[in-house]
Amino acid sequence: MGRACLWQVDFMILLKNISKIYPPNIAAVRDVHLHIRPGEFVSIVGQSGTGKSTLAKMLYAEERPTKGKIEVGGWDITHIKNSDVPLLRRQIGVVFQDFKLLPRKTVFENVSFALEVSGATNKRIKEVVPQVLKIVNLHEKGHRYPGQLSGGEQQRVSVARALVHRPKILVADEPTGNLDTFNTQEIMELLKKINEFGTTVVLVTHNREVVNALRKRVITLSDGEIVSDVEEGRYKL
Amino acid sequence: MTTVFRAVKFALQNFIRNLWLSLITVSMMMFTLLTINMVVMLNLVADNAISYVENKVEVSVYFKEGVSEERVATAASYLRSLAQVQDVRTVTPEQALERFKERHKRDEKILASLDEVGKNPFGPTLVVKAKDPSGFPFILESLDHPQFKNDIREKDFDNFEALIGQIRNTVSQVRLFGIGLSVIFLFLALLVVVNTVRMGIFIHREEIGVMRLVGASSTFIRAPFLIEAVLYTVLAVALTAAITLPIISVLDPKLAVLFEGTPGGLIGVFQKEGWKLLLGEAVILSLVSMAATAFAMRRYLKI
Ligand SMILES: Nc1ncnc2c1ncn2[C@@H]1O[C@H](COP(=O)(O)OP(=O)(O)OP(=O)(O)O)[C@@H](O)[C@H]1O
Ligand SMILES: [Mg+2]
Repeated sequence: MGRACLWQVDFMILLKNISKIYPPNIAAVRDVHLHIRPGEFVSIVGQSGTGKSTLAKMLYAEERPTKGKIEVGGWDITHIKNSDVPLLRRQIGVVFQDFKLLPRKTVFENVSFALEVSGATNKRIKEVVPQVLKIVNLHEKGHRYPGQLSGGEQQRVSVARALVHRPKILVADEPTGNLDTFNTQEIMELLKKINEFGTTVVLVTHNREVVNALRKRVITLSDGEIVSDVEEGRYKL
Repeated sequence: MTTVFRAVKFALQNFIRNLWLSLITVSMMMFTLLTINMVVMLNLVADNAISYVENKVEVSVYFKEGVSEERVATAASYLRSLAQVQDVRTVTPEQALERFKERHKRDEKILASLDEVGKNPFGPTLVVKAKDPSGFPFILESLDHPQFKNDIREKDFDNFEALIGQIRNTVSQVRLFGIGLSVIFLFLALLVVVNTVRMGIFIHREEIGVMRLVGASSTFIRAPFLIEAVLYTVLAVALTAAITLPIISVLDPKLAVLFEGTPGGLIGVFQKEGWKLLLGEAVILSLVSMAATAFAMRRYLKI
């Protein structure tokens, strides 16, 4: 079904003439062309309601494009079958503003849950979970519950969970939206670290300082269209 | 294997987190099964009761005093040659008197008139058992044949036909009621299953959302609910068995007379056949409740 090895392709993410029209007639994304190479760190910015989240959702197949073509790691996911979506989700880690942690599970359990439900062996779970908790620097707080963590720590748990499948892509939709400056910086450092390990990062954000400090590629959306796409860009609106 | 184990684990977690509804579901299923078992037992008991009564039906043919044994024997062998006759026994006059008294012990007039006679009015007697109670009229008529008619003083036939008819009637009404009740219970049980699954999906919406996000297959998300349906069924069947067994052991001595021909009596029947009934119920109810679960998931689980 055309799933090439993710590291052998020129483009990790490839959008051709992508449009998304929500019923009845809301054009959230219009005719977007976008190529993202493996290992890139791309920020997507734009005002509220300009289709940033919709674009992100099409990457992890939460939404299907109305028009155009999407490839992820050489795999055409434009019309991906529902039964193939889990395979895609094991190759794309996703992080949200609201963390989506399970309050009645510990940090360790929240992270291992992702492996458990996708059929990993117990051996692998014992191996991987401490590793990713170490990456996000929470290996000593594995027994805590989300309610006993700061917002930044909770977001780090959700990043850890997004990493358990060793994804080639990490999509972060306003990961710092709920965080103060200090925790925002911590998360950004973490995302940069993950990107340095070779993971392609797609960051959707509103945060001017974050984007300016990054000095990476910035794509600006307005009204569902790309209005600028700059290497080492700055937040401008 | 790990996956199956985990799906079972999640099913158990669902069961416990949703304990109240789980218990209601199990009880509804149990009521359904109990009602069905009652109907089955009623049928069994009724069948035995009817054949018990049928076996008791006999025609007594009382010959006049002084009729020679030879003539009685001829009549007996004639009767044996009839297709409707199962068995013919010869009874001496003394035994015949006893039998008559026994049969009419509640009828004082007859007993009084017997006393009046003062001596044994009976001659030799034949006791005829029919293969089927419907054969009696023919047997009786055949004895009106002139060859025998003058030798015979009286033909005595306890007509249980009416009684059997009554049993049949009552049983079929009770059975209809029981079947109706089982259908209603089954319907309610399935409604409860659908609702329980809906609640389960609602309670676990966060988990399910995360599962979808991190790449759990939809089979894996659905499996625990289906396993839960089987779990409900197995528990319900176990409880039903636990309730049915004592009921049977209480009934067994009371119904012993009806199960004379069956080794082990009612308990014996249950020990021999009961597991088939329970297994059948478990399989069918599992399938039906899994179907109800699948229906609920189609409606309420968007994956
Ligand atoms: N499921 C949906 N059905 C209908 N319309 C939708 C749906 N999701 C989003 N929209 C609309 O599509 C447009 C783009 O929404 P989207 O969430 O992509 O914007 P956004 O750029 O992420 O905004 P924000 O910065 O506020 O998160 C908006 O007008 C929104 O109302
Ligand atoms: Mg958004």
